[in-house]
Amino acid sequence: MISMIARRLVALPFILLVIYTITLTLAWVVPGNPLENPDKRPKAEVIEAMKKQYNLDSFPRFYVSYLSSATGIKYATDWVRGDLQSEREIAESAGLPPIERPIFDLGPSLEYDDWSVNEIVSSALPVSITLGASAILIALVIGVGAGVIGAVKPNSVSDLATLAIAMIGISLPSFVIGTVLLLLFAVLLPVMPVGGWGGPAQLVLPSITLALPFAAYIARLTRMGMIDALGADYVRTARAKGATERAVLYKHALKNAFLPVLSFLGPAAALAMTGSFVVEQVFTVPGIGQHFVNAVQNKDLSLIMGVVLVFATMLILFNLAVDVLYRWVDPRID
Amino acid sequence: MSRTLVPIALLVALVLGAMLSDRPAPRADLTFINGSEVNTLDPQRMSWMHDLRTARLLYEPLVKNDVLSTDFDIVPGAAESWSISEDQRIYTFTIRNNAKWSNGQPVTAHDFVYSWRRAMLPDLVSDYAAMFMNIEGASDFYTKRDEILETFGETTFGSPSEQRDGAQHAWDQTLVAFDDLVGLKAPDDRTLIVTLERPVPYFLDLCAFTVFAPVYEPLVSQYERPDPETARLVRRPGWTKGNVLISNGPFKLTQWRFKRDMRMEKNEHYWDRDSIAIDSVSIPSITDPNAGVLAYQTGSIDWVSDVTASYRGDMVADKLAYLAEHKDEVDRLRAQGLDQFSIDRMLPDDPRAHTHAVSSFGTYFYNFNCNPLLPDGRTNPFHDARVRRAFAMCVDKRAVAEQVRRLGEPTADTLIPPGSIGGYTSPKGLPNIGDAANESERRAIIERAKALLDEAGFPEGFVVELSFNKDAGHDLIAQTIAKSWQESLGVQTSLSQKEIKIFKDDLKNKQYMTGRAGWFGDYGDPTTFLGINHSDDGNNDRAYKSQRFDGLLAQAADELDPEKRMALLSEAERILVEEDLPLIPIFHYATIYMFDAHKITGLSTHPRTKQNAFLIDVLGDGKGPDQPRPMNPSHSEPTAETTP
Repeated sequence: MISMIARRLVALPFILLVIYTITLTLAWVVPGNPLENPDKRPKAEVIEAMKKQYNLDSFPRFYVSYLSSATGIKYATDWVRGDLQSEREIAESAGLPPIERPIFDLGPSLEYDDWSVNEIVSSALPVSITLGASAILIALVIGVGAGVIGAVKPNSVSDLATLAIAMIGISLPSFVIGTVLLLLFAVLLPVMPVGGWGGPAQLVLPSITLALPFAAYIARLTRMGMIDALGADYVRTARAKGATERAVLYKHALKNAFLPVLSFLGPAAALAMTGSFVVEQVFTVPGIGQHFVNAVQNKDLSLIMGVVLVFATMLILFNLAVDVLYRWVDPRID
Repeated sequence: MSRTLVPIALLVALVLGAMLSDRPAPRADLTFINGSEVNTLDPQRMSWMHDLRTARLLYEPLVKNDVLSTDFDIVPGAAESWSISEDQRIYTFTIRNNAKWSNGQPVTAHDFVYSWRRAMLPDLVSDYAAMFMNIEGASDFYTKRDEILETFGETTFGSPSEQRDGAQHAWDQTLVAFDDLVGLKAPDDRTLIVTLERPVPYFLDLCAFTVFAPVYEPLVSQYERPDPETARLVRRPGWTKGNVLISNGPFKLTQWRFKRDMRMEKNEHYWDRDSIAIDSVSIPSITDPNAGVLAYQTGSIDWVSDVTASYRGDMVADKLAYLAEHKDEVDRLRAQGLDQFSIDRMLPDDPRAHTHAVSSFGTYFYNFNCNPLLPDGRTNPFHDARVRRAFAMCVDKRAVAEQVRRLGEPTADTLIPPGSIGGYTSPKGLPNIGDAANESERRAIIERAKALLDEAGFPEGFVVELSFNKDAGHDLIAQTIAKSWQESLGVQTSLSQKEIKIFKDDLKNKQYMTGRAGWFGDYGDPTTFLGINHSDDGNNDRAYKSQRFDGLLAQAADELDPEKRMALLSEAERILVEEDLPLIPIFHYATIYMFDAHKITGLSTHPRTKQNAFLIDVLGDGKGPDQPRPMNPSHSEPTAETTP
């Protein structure tokens, strides 16, 4: 197991390098220029100079310089050269806090003048992680619950009802679900805030909206797993030895039926926690999903690279975590 | 089973941990929605209205506009007094003794020299650099800095460290050039002497513009260093953040979270802190038009500063219906000269009354490409001013304003919103079919237009290509206008809808025949609107070239007598909107606010649409005087809600 973890961690930087290279190449060939805002018309020579300043005039220069600052090489060289120390001295002599310099610097955003990509990601990512994690929790509760109910009495009314709800969850796009929830619980029956972020109440509606498609999928996985398990020999044995129906369901059947759900959780969690553009728009949640869309529209190269690298890292780490958990929960797998 | 629960427990812990670490702050005294996310809090680099509105809370320029006065008077800000030389070229400002930065340090004249110099540098790409070019030597300095940078770019350096020294040297040279060339001096900490290239009658109004506000040099200079590669100043983001930013205005920034919210607290070092009736301001980042209205309706927002929801026409209609229900009372209060917000405060409370249509300092118009040839090489009929006049008369402006926009906006016959600039008399403009009192008058206008087309040699008309960008309902306006041209002149219009970036590029490159446009004034002088029609202006998308018009602008620039100057500018606008028509004014914008006039006071109804949110008093909150802050009683500009 440890060697598996080590192998995966060693592979991580290489996978990221491949993703970095492919994404940057694709983003680079997209036409357009982040410095040419339609509402501002800087002079051509100013645009040229700014391109030079941000290394936008040469692909290899941008490739190398972004990589060196994102990996911390730039930070190390600046430290060796003494630049960081002299900056700190200047700040101290003015009685001001020194400029914060992150070790892994994802660069300044080309679109948002006052922000570095690190600031953007570090403000948006915790929001998306909280929202995603609570959505996955809700999805688990609803999905597993519905799956179990359906499996206990297959083709009964309650089974059909849960199936129908699952179908709705999968079929309806989240902008519809979100808007309907908003109308019901924030406008007609004002028990929930309309949107925004900060309090636990603001978490509820977007989490449910984000959770429903996942819940539907989990319900189907659980139902299938449970139907299989309930027909299995060990369940009959458990019943034969006089175990209560409750113990049979939860201790014996669900334990096995849950394994496919667990393997679905890895990519699902990564997906949910890296934000959803639609849910963020509907509920004005300041998450990271919007940046995937906006950064590409604005051709904000450093922001595109920043969010892609963060997403890729998360996806790899979550899959690793699920694999570790999987082996730990079910020792038969190695 | 217990092992299966571990991943679930991990998720629960994650959610709880994140929520505990991110608890909401208590509600601020004033919470308002700003429309869009603030782009920058660097005054020298800003140009968006929502940026300026936010920055006015944080920074204080030398002087301010008293937005609650009829004439938008200039009142002291960081400067306690000023004097103007006989020839109106030298302004001497005295910085007030008790002007302080938010860290308690005194504001000095040197801070203004530093900040204004930033705006004059080509490095910073300030959108409003041109305003600073009124200062003597500023444009020479701009050119000089460009030369220095060019020389640096052509020099080859032996080593990286040599190149770094070279970049530093180029910067030192720049500072020397500034002192030699530019008429901006601080002989001592409290005296700022500004020498202008030529008299600029509205210079104090410019000084009240937030782009002219000071920044704190010890802080900002840390983040702006000459780049060793190009010798240009490199901007690093970071200094405009909560508890880092040091500013000299009524509020200080305590938090700014990207696309989340901004929070400010009263600046305890601000010299006029006792006049501020709110202790904290919160600006949540709600950019979705619907969410903004909903947030207001559920009570979490005090003021929505720009309602853009698609149903806002209905909101305004509801408000007008509400005013109609109280017609007698409204008429009585209006006769007393009360402004529209004060009237709302006197009327009984009603959710419909929380919508306010406020006149804006901007105009919606259609551009004509005035070049002799069209992009595809054909002769351009709109090169002929007679054709432009004919088309301008036959746009049904009233239909656009009342049936498409439905925001109570006045139709426009001039480029400059009438009544928005003190001392300026607007020309009359051309007759318009939308304004015709009856059918025969309408026929007469159409006949006149047709005669003009005949004269110009287009009796049969031609196919007009009309371009617009696909957002914000421009398509409906274009259809309405195409229809009125078809009905009156019998011409066909081909509508060409474009992506905003392509649309703007096409305008810039004159790759269009006619197209939609809009302009908002920056300062209180007619030149803020007229200037964009000067032959050499970067915003002259119309390729309009008139020696007469340019000549009048030049004459006005040299005219020291204010009245004569305004008359010259009025004549220039008359040529624009009665004779040459490079553009068709269609309507003057209104901005839609949402707030409860019984609760919020201190907002201005002046058509310059500049709000100083630090003047707001939340009535009945026990802070500040809790007294209504109306416009001056004499104030009686036409407002959107009083138009018939």
